Amino acid sequence: MPSDKYLEKIINFYKERKRMPSYSEIARLAGFGSKNAAYKLVQKLLDENILEKDSSGKLLPGRAFNSVRVLGTVEAGWPSPAEEELLDTMTLDEFLIANKEATYMLTVKGDSMKDAGIISGDLVLVERGKQAKDGDIVIAEVDGEWTMKYFRKRGSKIFLEPANQKFSKIFPKETLKIAAIVKAVIRKY
Amino acid sequence: MRSPLILSSFPRAILHIDGDAFFAASEQARNPKLKGRPVITGKERGIVASMSYEAKARGVTRAMRLFEVKKICPDAVILPSDYETYSILSKRLFNIVRRYTPDVEEYGIDECFADITGLRRPFRMSYHDIAEKIKKELDSELGFTFSIGLAPNKVLAKIASKWAKPSGLTAIPGRLIHIYLEELAVEKVWGIGPQTTAFLAHHGIKTALDFALRKEPWIRKNLSKPFFEIWQELNGNFVLNLDTSEKTSYQSISKVKTFSPASNDRAFVFAQLSKNIENACMKARRYKLAANGAALFLRQENFECRGMEIKFSRKTAFAHEIINLAKSSFEDIFNPKILYRSTGVVLLKLEEENEMQLDLFGRELLAQKMTKIYESIDAIRNKYGKHTVFFGSSFQANKFSQHLGERGVVPQRKQNLLKGETARKRLAIPVFLGKIS
Repeated sequence: MPSDKYLEKIINFYKERKRMPSYSEIARLAGFGSKNAAYKLVQKLLDENILEKDSSGKLLPGRAFNSVRVLGTVEAGWPSPAEEELLDTMTLDEFLIANKEATYMLTVKGDSMKDAGIISGDLVLVERGKQAKDGDIVIAEVDGEWTMKYFRKRGSKIFLEPANQKFSKIFPKETLKIAAIVKAVIRKY
Repeated sequence: MRSPLILSSFPRAILHIDGDAFFAASEQARNPKLKGRPVITGKERGIVASMSYEAKARGVTRAMRLFEVKKICPDAVILPSDYETYSILSKRLFNIVRRYTPDVEEYGIDECFADITGLRRPFRMSYHDIAEKIKKELDSELGFTFSIGLAPNKVLAKIASKWAKPSGLTAIPGRLIHIYLEELAVEKVWGIGPQTTAFLAHHGIKTALDFALRKEPWIRKNLSKPFFEIWQELNGNFVLNLDTSEKTSYQSISKVKTFSPASNDRAFVFAQLSKNIENACMKARRYKLAANGAALFLRQENFECRGMEIKFSRKTAFAHEIINLAKSSFEDIFNPKILYRSTGVVLLKLEEENEMQLDLFGRELLAQKMTKIYESIDAIRNKYGKHTVFFGSSFQANKFSQHLGERGVVPQRKQNLLKGETARKRLAIPVFLGKIS
């Protein structure tokens, strides 16, 4: 589009002189014979919000002056994202897994933890070898099966609490075997 | 009271770390239903690959055939091997040990040596405490137990790790070596086999200490170098270095596959052999190796084995060349009146592939063409699966699953795939199995 070419010239003028060109300057920049042609071009750019006018009628760089279209003209000169910029990012693996050697996963069955936002079919990442704290969601061994519940500690008393009113708390008769602590829940759609 | 063999405790501090019934224990660790029960892996092979301590107590031994197991231990839980999971856990074992020292020798899938010499100061712990801490991390993070031996060298560390299995931690400091060796039969020493044991018995050597106390000239005169090295280590010297390189090269590559039911179908049995050759060659190419020879063997239903060794005129990792050579050897050993249960191939005398020499008859040019073809084949296999393309000679072996009937059972991990997983690619994280509520 020719007006793009003219706009580029206006931008360059603005960058160099730190002020907007007058109509006659615009005519000269664009190579128009008359200020009238410059006026029409400015009208068009005003309509597109690329240029604005102040209260005294002087031209101002518009809101769109620094937007995508403008950036497009200078973008070529920018460096592409360097390796260093990516050094401080992490993979999803690193984000989800703190101790790689101790992390296991399991698929949830049942809805005893549904109020904690964990439902049947969810994949949970769990870590072995950590001491469970009050409020952790843990994988415990109860009667030869895994169960996932909140770990609760009241004084010296320890029990497991579901996140669903339909299920009851589990008070272990002997020692409670905690196999792992839940670290993340993954649900794929 | 005998005098010590050496006076210092740990001139070097070597650990031997050994998983207790690694495969079976890892099955029990991920499924609480299996805890306390006799668990056996190896269903797909028809023989015991690993058994839990509960099964061991019932008289089950390694390599025992499964129908015998069912007789002496009818309540045994027999599982197919899940090598994918075992391999992940194996890597985890080595990585946990590497938290303490980079000098780790991956000696087997379930055992390693580690050199912790000089680490007392940086960790502000005794060698014994470092060993204990490693053991604690292994036991708690992998979910089953390990046995650790601490000693001045590899041979003694291996004795120490066996001393209090399962879940033991035994230290043999230099000045106490003789106490341990006195109680140990010489055939229990790593590297001393039945032949040597019999020979030593003729000379009145019964215990490891008897052996260690022999004078050097007698050892040098009567035994070969490996036994001299063992003798030195029993005397507290550090001789056998740790091989800490990660396995990237192989002296030989073997592929053995059992199939069931046993068969005497010539084409089918050869296809099994052909498939093994293809797989062995693929592995060789992956490590940029080529073989100068191969050993082929057929194992009969009664476990007897017949084999042949073939030499190549030039080294190769091209399956079609070896399959062609294997044809006549196969005819020599195959007997249609006999049922076979497995075939195997071992690629021998492996060398780096890039040392290929030009030859007089222009076969090098052909070889370059073949290299291109195999590169394409390998690329296709890497992308779409190991058995997407194969030779016609392997067809009969690729047509069916390796085992018909109950031995064809696939590990549970491979049956329950997660959304997004495929039969070929799964998340490299072990799963908890059993009922989860």
